Amino acid sequence: MKRRDLLRAAVAAAGASVLSGGLAACSSEEGNRTTPSTSLTYWDWYVSQAGWVDNELKLFDKAHPGPSIKRTTQVTDRYADLLALSVRSKNTPDVFMIPKLPALQEQVDKGWLLPLDKWATSQWQSRFPANQFVEGVNVFGGKVYTAPFAAPAPSLQLYCHHGAFKDAGLTNADGTIKLPKTWDDVTRAAEAITSKSGGKAYGLGFGNAQNFALAWWIDLFTRGAGSPGGTATMDYRVGRWTFASDRNYADFLTLLLDWKKRGFIYPSSMSISDEQARAFFSQGKFGMTVGGVWNQPTWTENKFTEYSLVTLPAPDGTPKAFFYGPPGGSFVAISAKASDPERAWAWLDWLYSKEAGKRWVEQGLGLSVYPDNNDPSLVKFEPFAEYVAMANTAFIGPTPTVRNPEVAKVTVNAVKPDINDVGAGLYTGQLKDVAKALSELQDRLNTAQDDAVKAAQAKGAKVSADDYVFKDWDPAKPYVHKPA
Amino acid sequence: MAVSGTFADGVTAANPPAGGTPGGTPRRRRRGRWSAIWSARWSYLYVAPMMVLLVGFVIYPIGASLGYTFYQWNGIGDPTDFVGFANFAQVVNDSIFWGAVRHTFTYVAIVTPVQLVLALALALVLNNRRLRFATFYRTLFFLPVVTSAAVIGVVFQLMFSNFGQSVNDILTGFRITNENIDWLGDPNVAMGIIIVVGIWHTLGYNLVYFLAGLQTIPEELYEAARIDGAGRIAQFCYITVPMLRSVGVVIVLLALIGGFQVFDLVQVLTNGGPYFATEVVNTYIYHLAFGGFGASAVQPNVGLASAASFFYGLLLIGFSAVQVVVIRSLARRRAGQ
Repeated sequence: MKRRDLLRAAVAAAGASVLSGGLAACSSEEGNRTTPSTSLTYWDWYVSQAGWVDNELKLFDKAHPGPSIKRTTQVTDRYADLLALSVRSKNTPDVFMIPKLPALQEQVDKGWLLPLDKWATSQWQSRFPANQFVEGVNVFGGKVYTAPFAAPAPSLQLYCHHGAFKDAGLTNADGTIKLPKTWDDVTRAAEAITSKSGGKAYGLGFGNAQNFALAWWIDLFTRGAGSPGGTATMDYRVGRWTFASDRNYADFLTLLLDWKKRGFIYPSSMSISDEQARAFFSQGKFGMTVGGVWNQPTWTENKFTEYSLVTLPAPDGTPKAFFYGPPGGSFVAISAKASDPERAWAWLDWLYSKEAGKRWVEQGLGLSVYPDNNDPSLVKFEPFAEYVAMANTAFIGPTPTVRNPEVAKVTVNAVKPDINDVGAGLYTGQLKDVAKALSELQDRLNTAQDDAVKAAQAKGAKVSADDYVFKDWDPAKPYVHKPA
Repeated sequence: MAVSGTFADGVTAANPPAGGTPGGTPRRRRRGRWSAIWSARWSYLYVAPMMVLLVGFVIYPIGASLGYTFYQWNGIGDPTDFVGFANFAQVVNDSIFWGAVRHTFTYVAIVTPVQLVLALALALVLNNRRLRFATFYRTLFFLPVVTSAAVIGVVFQLMFSNFGQSVNDILTGFRITNENIDWLGDPNVAMGIIIVVGIWHTLGYNLVYFLAGLQTIPEELYEAARIDGAGRIAQFCYITVPMLRSVGVVIVLLALIGGFQVFDLVQVLTNGGPYFATEVVNTYIYHLAFGGFGASAVQPNVGLASAASFFYGLLLIGFSAVQVVVIRSLARRRAGQ
């Protein structure tokens, strides 16, 4: 074939493919507009919970014959970016788990979400416990956009390896392991495991390669000592960050450095990831680690069940502060551009059903918004039953956006170094002075907070620093919000 | 390649046609330029796809992101929060940024010379015609280059985290160290590991470049030198090095550029930690633009990241200018001698 003939043939083929592609695109668009015969798209970031979602999809398809739902599991730490890109490219999934960024208020303002009032009537809302639909949390401008799925839950626990405890002689008369309740108990157990293993095991271990595990330790132990913000939020009793003014933080970090100095902590803890730490804990390379309930499915999958858990170890054994969540909550929403809103609602309604929540608890994935579902006696797996029994360590806490929805307009910039960085800097010896490092962190965070409030005020938002102060809050009790 | 420096009609760039001389009229000059372009049309056609990609994915994003430097923007929606030069001021006053610059230059300053010396030494060995299985060795040394830095990072991360403790046991058993080393968690060790892995990863490139350079040196030169009684060291110093000089400058430049681009190895091996001990400028920019590991909970700042990119770009341009001045002055001094 001559070169000219070859070029002609190539151009003809390319033209045909473009034409056919264009026609296909046209017909597809046309199809969407008239009959929503295409499958519904659903996005989440659930990996260890995938079994539950897939089962719910199967049950839903059986109960609601029609176009199938196409589930896509996105990467957890890129989910917010991916959803934003999908909106920009006009390819938003019909139903999706709500990303943490941008703030839900901003997502509503940008028109990403479909108001659910047509279906989420007062009768539908009545299936939930009282006070679950709250302006500024899941209701915006009087319209419902999402609903709570899970109850406030203890987000972190101290996991104890039965084998390591038993080998170190840390057992009760009945053969069960002696669970540490105080900071001193943890120190004694760590010392016993490290010394009696002959160098084969360490008392404590974590995986900080991703730079967040150390903050979990600080959070869990300081909450138990009475710091209600932990590492996650400011202390709403005073409306300020208190990393330096609250001595619990310096006390725990000093204790942590003492554990390291005495050789109680697995030496490669800063090199390994959280996933590797999970595996090493199950192998008994260390006797105690801090993590969440998300550890349990992986361990169960790997046939490791010989562990127990406690939460909020306190200096004197009695927790002074707990885990807090906002009233109401959010989980999934329907896209404002959903191709088939009725079917999208049917799927959303299915996910929020009491039965789906029950299966969520039964499979050991977390607590349900429906209190009846959170009965430890219904849970067969012992470690998860222990977790369910801890439900009383988490309750409603102060939420500034509930008292003043305008607070949602305050955008606080992230600070660097943050608590994760400061924890790593102190642990590795790059930061020498605990008090100075915490004081500088506290100043950074409070300055960022003040700047954000000022910026919001400059844009007309009716907010002030007082919106973050809840003087009447007793951290040992659920907080009841009063109108501003 | 045939048209490089020579127009297709046989007129060399050094001797332009009459229309292109300063004395020619503008119309004749223009006609000459168009005819030169037309005569080299196939070259332009072949270059065009690459240029389109370059403009679309390199030039345009650079220009577009300049606008973002003046906004505080989380990357979602359109930027509206104008902050002027505040992002640049924040970058300039950020000690973490300067730490990242220091780490990047340390990486380049160690990786480039060590890698070049090793690559040249290996190239000399592999260029020996009496060496058996030379092709096998070349493949072996080039193999890491064709493996993604991210994959290498993952493999080394797994190796250090899974077997680091076993290595510690051996080291303490032989009393080489007294205490366990947290390989990627120790600020003094982690950067060293990144540098060593970086040297190993791209050594193959420089090895191949040097081998190509060595193979352009006529064998007759060595034969003549041997007849004149020159030993191996004299041959290396007075034939190999001078003959490799021009290709050597290109290899150094490419190695420097590659060094300044270090990102994926650091991101996967240490994520810039612990406490920014291995943070390089590219990971610093990435963390600003997309948040840390828990990006869903950390407010990214694309404007600040863009400002950091531009400022770092300016630093590199300044560094390159200094480099050019130094190379030119060296060349001038050599010419004077």
